Amino acid sequence: MRSYQDMVYTTAARLTGNDAQAQDIAQEVFVRAYEHFAALAGSATAGGWLKTVATNLAINHLNRYRKRWRMFSEMRVAGEESEEIEWEVPDTLLADFSAEQRGAIVEQALRGLPEHQRVPLVLYHFEDLSYQEIAARLGTSLAKVKTDIRRARAALLPALQAGAARDTLES
Amino acid sequence: MNESNDEKIERLLKDALSGLPLRRAPDALQRRVLDEVAQRAALPWWRRNFGQWPMAARSAFVAVCVVLAGLSLTSGLTQQFGAETLVWAKPVVGLMASIGGVATLAVSLVPPLFIYVALVVGALLYALLFGLGAFAYRTLYLPHSNTAVVRQ
Repeated sequence: MRSYQDMVYTTAARLTGNDAQAQDIAQEVFVRAYEHFAALAGSATAGGWLKTVATNLAINHLNRYRKRWRMFSEMRVAGEESEEIEWEVPDTLLADFSAEQRGAIVEQALRGLPEHQRVPLVLYHFEDLSYQEIAARLGTSLAKVKTDIRRARAALLPALQAGAARDTLES
Repeated sequence: MNESNDEKIERLLKDALSGLPLRRAPDALQRRVLDEVAQRAALPWWRRNFGQWPMAARSAFVAVCVVLAGLSLTSGLTQQFGAETLVWAKPVVGLMASIGGVATLAVSLVPPLFIYVALVVGALLYALLFGLGAFAYRTLYLPHSNTAVVRQ
């Protein structure tokens, strides 16, 4: 368990954006692993199994709450979606920071994203899923996945720049 | 936003997000898992998942379900084709007919006006709860989910 607990916890935390929920999900993942101990012990695929279960449980958890709000989330007035702000796209991003510093900045910026943008972005950039696979996992259309990821990137970019500037000022 | 900017942002994020260290799991996680495993192991078999029930209990449960489904089906057939063909199902048919009779009597005793008023009140309460939900979503949830879009 010690070998995989950081990986499982990180997967759940990035998807949910919530430490308490990530702990609950990580706990459930390892309880299920315990129930399948005979098959997993010493298996080379144990890491992949744990990551898959962590991802699925996190998505299921989020879906459970998303469905409750879906009806209201579709009641948006035209033009209400999001205001468009102009940002300058830099040539490099977080290049001067160590991996630990980058990690902290990225984790904080991810938490600031709304769930419908964070989840597909994490699945694409951290779990290496394709757009089609993400659409299938989330039960949504391919076009929506692409739009959400594009908007998530666009929202994450200034958040990362702001995080980097704040980190530089503090140090 | 044009295509080249999309690609540029994707490349920038790929570089920034690659090789990030894993977050450290809380120290209490291992203890929580062991406690949960012990707690689940202490549960009696009938409170666990169906897949973890003993084989005899699972078989008995399935058998009871099959019998009940069969009784329901045959009682329906009996009502349709006459009790003479399925005499052994008569008690079940009688019971179901009694329940249906009581339900019909209860409905006939309620004035129609009362039913219409109840339906209207139910619809109003539903609309009120729907409105409250929409209000809560817009005031509590939506302000935190607005996003900015990069334009070049």
